[in-house]
Amino acid sequence: MIRPNLKSTLGCYAIVLPGIVLLLTFIYLPVVWAFSKSLQEFEVGGPARFVGLANYREYLTLDPTCWPSVLNMLLLTMFAVFVRLTAPLIVAKLIHSLPRERWRHFYRVVFLAPIVVPGVAVQLIWQGMIYADDGMLNSLLKGLGLSGWARGWLSDPHTALAAVMMVGFPFVGGFEVLIYYAGLSAIPDSVNEAARLEGCTGVSKFFRIDIPLILSQLKLIVLLTVIGGMQGFEGLFILTRGGPGFKTTVPGLWMYFNAFMFQRMGYACAIGVLLFLAIFALTLLNLRYFKSAEDVKGES
Amino acid sequence: MGRGRLLAIHVTLLLIASLTMLPLAFMVNNVFRSNREFYRSFFSIPDAFKGLARVAGAAAVDSNKPVQVEDEQGRPLQVAPGEAVGVYLRQIERGPAMAWAVLRPYLVNSLIVSILTALGVSLLGSSAAYILARYRFLGSRATLVMFLATMMFPGVLTLVPSFLLVKSLGLLNTYWAMILPYVAGGQVFAIFVFHSFFRGLPEDLFESARMDGAGHLSLYLNIVLPLSRPVFSVVVIMNILGTWNNFLWPFITNTDGSHHVISSGLFALATSQHAQNFSTMFAAYAISSVPLLILFVYATRPFIRGMTSGAFKA
Repeated sequence: MIRPNLKSTLGCYAIVLPGIVLLLTFIYLPVVWAFSKSLQEFEVGGPARFVGLANYREYLTLDPTCWPSVLNMLLLTMFAVFVRLTAPLIVAKLIHSLPRERWRHFYRVVFLAPIVVPGVAVQLIWQGMIYADDGMLNSLLKGLGLSGWARGWLSDPHTALAAVMMVGFPFVGGFEVLIYYAGLSAIPDSVNEAARLEGCTGVSKFFRIDIPLILSQLKLIVLLTVIGGMQGFEGLFILTRGGPGFKTTVPGLWMYFNAFMFQRMGYACAIGVLLFLAIFALTLLNLRYFKSAEDVKGES
Repeated sequence: MGRGRLLAIHVTLLLIASLTMLPLAFMVNNVFRSNREFYRSFFSIPDAFKGLARVAGAAAVDSNKPVQVEDEQGRPLQVAPGEAVGVYLRQIERGPAMAWAVLRPYLVNSLIVSILTALGVSLLGSSAAYILARYRFLGSRATLVMFLATMMFPGVLTLVPSFLLVKSLGLLNTYWAMILPYVAGGQVFAIFVFHSFFRGLPEDLFESARMDGAGHLSLYLNIVLPLSRPVFSVVVIMNILGTWNNFLWPFITNTDGSHHVISSGLFALATSQHAQNFSTMFAAYAISSVPLLILFVYATRPFIRGMTSGAFKA
């Protein structure tokens, strides 16, 4: 670590400056605006009127979408956390247990490959091909003699939310597989050897040795999935636009509609701020109470 | 491990992999099928493929019987085998040709935006991380915190105000509306990854070079860059993936549709009259995957190595 004199300090700042300018303009200014404009009522280009906390009060007490959409968000997020903690982990464990590196590499590449398809295309494929009226799911049901079950999966109020959840089945994301795989690879050979000598193998080893030792990876995935689940609405925007009714509306989507369809910019900013506060609180909780293996080791 | 267990693992993995790939397989299949074929039966290979196989079979036994094909409206038509081949090939290329015509400008926009963003992010991110990791000066710690603290602001907080900002800067419907915010946000993750890597480099490397009178630029070019190739590839690939997949921001900031990128363009396509032609849509999904497929083929190895090296944990 070098401690430069004043002249070189200025040189250092000259190098960092462009990044700082971009950061202040395109991140910090919008953050400040999010809070300040959430206290106003205005349309794009129109005059702004200071309304205090009225936007917040309206959303939390008067808006009929508020609590149903929060419930949808929680259900979607919990389901996402559950599948991302299980499916990719099982696959990573299976890959990792193969004896030959060739195959381990092959399967990692295979499961990573679908990331080349843009996310929008994936949503549109599920909407237009799998859930379509004459699509894959209904054709499959008809082929099995279950025509009665065929329906517009995304437009039927009883199935819309479940259909949205199932997009991406069997939920084996290449990134998650790689992250879990990295965690499994980082378990020292001595630990694996000791487990083998003690007769701790298979499922028992998986739960007693592997999972505790990859807690930091599990924690990362939970954190990213919770953050993504609370604020994500692009998929819902493409698949259902929140319908039928408000069956698949989440607060983020409602924020989008308020800003870009109803021209209620201040109200949208208030919803954004509330989501930020919720995400922030959950992140702190997660970091505080879900300890990683390193933390545990550090304390003992 | 016993042979039986090994086989079971392979079978399970292949089964899960094929379930994952199934939608993509049907997507490619449907590129070459007309709406009528789609409605008639979902699980079927393209008529054009079957027809070509029939013509090839007939040619093998040297038969010159006319072949029955369907014209554009689905009416049956008797034509010579040579002509039938032309009809089938036209059926095959119709979807991809239409999709390509629509997507080409979007693809160019996507390339411009994602390449400039990745250049900006890796340049700004690595130079700032280098300075902040190797020099301790007044405010260096605060500067690092100022960068990294932005990771706690989720996109949903800044989406609407960022739009208002870009609009008041007069940047709507320009490349800059995408590139500048992408670089501003993307550099943070780059600094996060680069900083921890640069911190780990031994000081001796730098000291001897400094003795020889090397400046910032020379240290950066001759020591930092060559050593950090694997980290660079992870940062650049993650950045390109993020830019490529970002749909909402280009969709919002392109109020007149003139600067659509692939992802926002696909959505625009899906809500246009082209969506009536399924093969066009499926071809568009397939074509939109090709650029990243090329990147994937070239960059998987360093990427998997970078990811597996354990850079990612909380």
